[in-house]
Amino acid sequence: MHGEYKMPGGKLVVVDLDVHAGRLCRVQVSGDFFLEPDRALRDINAALEGRSASADEATLAFAIQSALSADVLMYGISPEAIAVAVRRALHEGAQA
Amino acid sequence: MSRSEWSAHGWELIHQDPQPPALHMALDQVLADEVAAGRRAPTLRIWEWASPAVVIGRFQSLRNEVDLDGARRHGIEVVRRISGGGAMFIEPGNTITYSIYAPLGLVEGLSFQESYALMDAWVIEALRELGIEAWYQPLNDIASAAGKIGGAAQMRHAGAVLHHVTMAYDIDAAKMLDVLRIGREKLSDKGTASAAKRVDPLRSQTGLPREAVIQRMIDTFRRLHGLRDGALTPDELARARELAANKFHKQEWTAEVP
Repeated sequence: MHGEYKMPGGKLVVVDLDVHAGRLCRVQVSGDFFLEPDRALRDINAALEGRSASADEATLAFAIQSALSADVLMYGISPEAIAVAVRRALHEGAQA
Repeated sequence: MSRSEWSAHGWELIHQDPQPPALHMALDQVLADEVAAGRRAPTLRIWEWASPAVVIGRFQSLRNEVDLDGARRHGIEVVRRISGGGAMFIEPGNTITYSIYAPLGLVEGLSFQESYALMDAWVIEALRELGIEAWYQPLNDIASAAGKIGGAAQMRHAGAVLHHVTMAYDIDAAKMLDVLRIGREKLSDKGTASAAKRVDPLRSQTGLPREAVIQRMIDTFRRLHGLRDGALTPDELARARELAANKFHKQEWTAEVP
């Protein structure tokens, strides 16, 4: 499943994932955003792995935010924008 | 804490013979390290390309961004850089690319947006002297009334800030669309209409050869901030070659975000 979201005033956030037994798996966030340090991308993917496929945006955004250490800097991307892209991937996958 | 001024640093220029794509990626990492460690003066490096490349951003998905069959068909190497941002399509002579490696003090206390504006200011002045009214367009573009001219990517790396920019000189749009998967939404952002044959803001708006545009940029930087001619040291080049071979040529790096 694949979802994209262009954050207003920001960059493109892309999410590819599968759903297994109602849970997100093989979650991969990508895009033309800026993120420091770069290892934070792994933390974001890991924060989404195993979440319920019915989790709402606020829940997903909170899970991402909670997984990020205080030194992480985001430019053109936010936990909320990633959550929107996840919901879009799930929505489009459900229609397919 | 107060920010340092450009002129407080003794800037050095590196503008050498064409180099292969993976070596350029490696040089950005090595030179940022050297400036961070205080072993190298703050540096402006102008890139010359030995061969065509697609350069994807640190967080972009390889298969989502690049048509690998198209790239293979055109003999175009795909490399991933260390900074975020979007993909660029490079053929020798079709773009102007440069990197600035500065001590972190230059952007101390600035927001990302402020530090992009600061780092782009000199090139916007150079473009103005060439007759192009351009501006920094957040988040990371350089634009003119006729559309996008280029894009910047910045990363703060240990004790240094790396700011690199690619500007379109004369890009073959059809070939670019063969190798980059650019959605319709994104196409307008690349300064081109879908029917455009070439994306050539610097060539068409200056009427000058690429080399003359680069010379003006160097002259402007030198006048504003001071700039002495320099070169890569043998040690820097050796380390970059090793890094190119052991990291930037490896599939595990290029496909790190598959």
